[in-house]
Amino acid sequence: MARERRGARLMLRPATTAEVAGLVRESAATGCALRLRGAGTWLDAGHPVRADATLSLDRLRGVVQYRPDDLTITVEAGTTLAELDDATRAHGQWCPLLPWGDDAGTVGATLATATAGPFAARLGRPRELVLGLDCVDGRGRAIAAGGRVVKNVAGFDLVRAVTGSWGTLAVITRAHLRLRARPAADVTLALEAPPDAPTVEAFARGPYAPLACVPLSADDAAALRLGDARWLVRLGGNAAFVAAARGALEALGPCTEADPRAWDAVRTRLAPPPRALHWRWDELSRRLRAAFDPSRVLNRGLLGDPA
Amino acid sequence: MTALAAELRRIVGDAHVLARATELLVYRSDALPGLQRAPALAVFPGTRDELVAVVRALARAQAPFVARGAGTGLSGGALADGVTLLGLHRLKRILALDPVGRTATVEPGVVNAWLTRAAAPHGLHYAPDPSSQSACTIGGNVAENAGGPHCLKYGVTLDHVLRATVVLPDGEVVTLDRGDGDGEGGYDLLGAFIGSEGCFGVVADVTVRLTPDPERTITLLADFTSVRAAAAATSAIIAAGILPAALELMDGPTIEAVESSIYAAGYPRDAAAVLLAEVDGAAAGLEDDAAAVAAHCRAAGSRDVRMARDPAERARLWQGRKKAFGAMGRLAPHLVVQDAVVPRSQLPDLLDDIAAIGARHGVRVCNVFHAGDGNLHPNIPYDAHDADESARVHAAMGEIMRRCIAAGGTITGEHGVGLDKLPYMEALFTGDTLDAMCTLRDVFDPERRANPGKVVPVRACREWRASAAARA
Repeated sequence: MARERRGARLMLRPATTAEVAGLVRESAATGCALRLRGAGTWLDAGHPVRADATLSLDRLRGVVQYRPDDLTITVEAGTTLAELDDATRAHGQWCPLLPWGDDAGTVGATLATATAGPFAARLGRPRELVLGLDCVDGRGRAIAAGGRVVKNVAGFDLVRAVTGSWGTLAVITRAHLRLRARPAADVTLALEAPPDAPTVEAFARGPYAPLACVPLSADDAAALRLGDARWLVRLGGNAAFVAAARGALEALGPCTEADPRAWDAVRTRLAPPPRALHWRWDELSRRLRAAFDPSRVLNRGLLGDPA
Repeated sequence: MTALAAELRRIVGDAHVLARATELLVYRSDALPGLQRAPALAVFPGTRDELVAVVRALARAQAPFVARGAGTGLSGGALADGVTLLGLHRLKRILALDPVGRTATVEPGVVNAWLTRAAAPHGLHYAPDPSSQSACTIGGNVAENAGGPHCLKYGVTLDHVLRATVVLPDGEVVTLDRGDGDGEGGYDLLGAFIGSEGCFGVVADVTVRLTPDPERTITLLADFTSVRAAAAATSAIIAAGILPAALELMDGPTIEAVESSIYAAGYPRDAAAVLLAEVDGAAAGLEDDAAAVAAHCRAAGSRDVRMARDPAERARLWQGRKKAFGAMGRLAPHLVVQDAVVPRSQLPDLLDDIAAIGARHGVRVCNVFHAGDGNLHPNIPYDAHDADESARVHAAMGEIMRRCIAAGGTITGEHGVGLDKLPYMEALFTGDTLDAMCTLRDVFDPERRANPGKVVPVRACREWRASAAARA
């Protein structure tokens, strides 16, 4: 385990779940508040975290187990989305988290914030793609929630409670994820049709439902070099399906094939403000926070909870 | 208890409270007849206001209770052992159905298949389709996070519930959602609630997503001379990245039970196993998917792959599958069924091992299950009055469960832990994890009155142990 001082701040860099558990127990006992850090892209999210030290997950990194034939993968929480994408691409698979933001972000942060993206409606939200989590709650308990199989109702669902809790219930250290096969045919089209066109929405809800379908403002289109296009649409499936879907889309307006890297720009440019800005603290939520992190050592203040 | 019964009668009327042992007989078990526990009292509210009043009366009396839908569960989860049974089947209204937004809001006692029937004129259906869908309720489905054959492609109950109004065990009424709404954040309290097996509260209403009917559906039946070959075909289809709407395996003993019953579906009686596979979606490209499924079956050694010619044949093929548990009633008076899930690449080896375990204990294992998810359902028909046979059946089931856990699997994919699988929880989860599950339960039900004694073994909860030690 590494402890470093950067400026006046203490940086803790555990390498295992057990080390994280030890640190959290020590922090809870001494009242040392921890800021959890993946790649550092979500820090604060509008509310200042009041922390005495930073707990970085950067040494918990890499693929732990990948069985392509099962379409599941286990990765350490500090693994970046880019690393996850590289590991699975070699087998024609992907974990379609594809959240708002870029691929420098970590798997742990994506699950902790439950950040979805333009593909979520069709390919799954974080809560639907995560099968299990290893994590350490604010009491320092090392929890192995869920499992690594694709269907599981054993016990109470700690995975769903921790996913999207912004690190205020537990520190995610490892994740078991569901993978999908990449579509055999995968085409991105820029469509010239008004951004509020009901025909495009009807297309997106119909049998040719695309992987993603995003309206663009004139500024967005200019920034993405898509000219007069006002929709970016990604079609995926087998060759015959994509050909038919493309035909149906072309009936709605002129279509131009676009570089699929346009989606990376869409994910950073069109990202909505983080949900943590407006957190709902009802009675059950307060009880949940108090039950799992009674000393409030984890990301204190991030969700606007009182100091 | 009489004071409580009087109070409940005042709320729901005399006709809807049962207290005599003879009247309570039918509530002694769910669809797993080997497990029986008698409730002390049963109450059946007929409106949401009555439901809330009943839960509040139970809270004032500090009375434990067990919610129950249609009693089709397969884990003993709805058994009320000497406590009050809260039956929800009278709350059966579809409150709203929005064909444009593709959602429906229903009371907990609405039967799963009724919702699909109501949505059908709009070209929509409710996707989770447990085999008991003609009887089971949406409230029960939410409590168990129920699955079904088509969950392979469409996802389980969790993926289809958008919002729920819940009566907490203390009588407070709360709205739970996924916490991922546009612009507003919150914990995924709804996700934590779904599948909590009646231990977190009672559903008063639930809003679910409705799914558009596919443009076209192709149903295939592939016939194999060994179970291993059928399992290998399943693993190959999944590994190839094909996502059928459903992929179900039935073995020879199951085929025999179905074909000898009124649910005879025309499965080949000399087959060692059949795979029932379905692909659906847009018509364009669908035949290519079906051809790919058929090719993998043939490559794995299938004798024959046939396609359902019309909706009637499709319905018949599915009826045999969905009524398979019922058909096994012909073989013996009792039935145990397990629900383990294993990594899909390991299906061929695991099915060999299950057969060997059955043979070693001299019991007859029938397999009928969601192969595409790796969700096994080994069934053993037996006579619970035969002590020797019962012992052998339970020993075989325990061994099968431990084998599935060792393979990296889980003990239940859709039926829930209930009472039936409690003994395996400590083999699957660490002490800290079980302790954290107790913490989660305490957030919703700090008095631990809702469905007591289920899901997590009491001895696994550190604080419960501590408080018991303090009392002693």
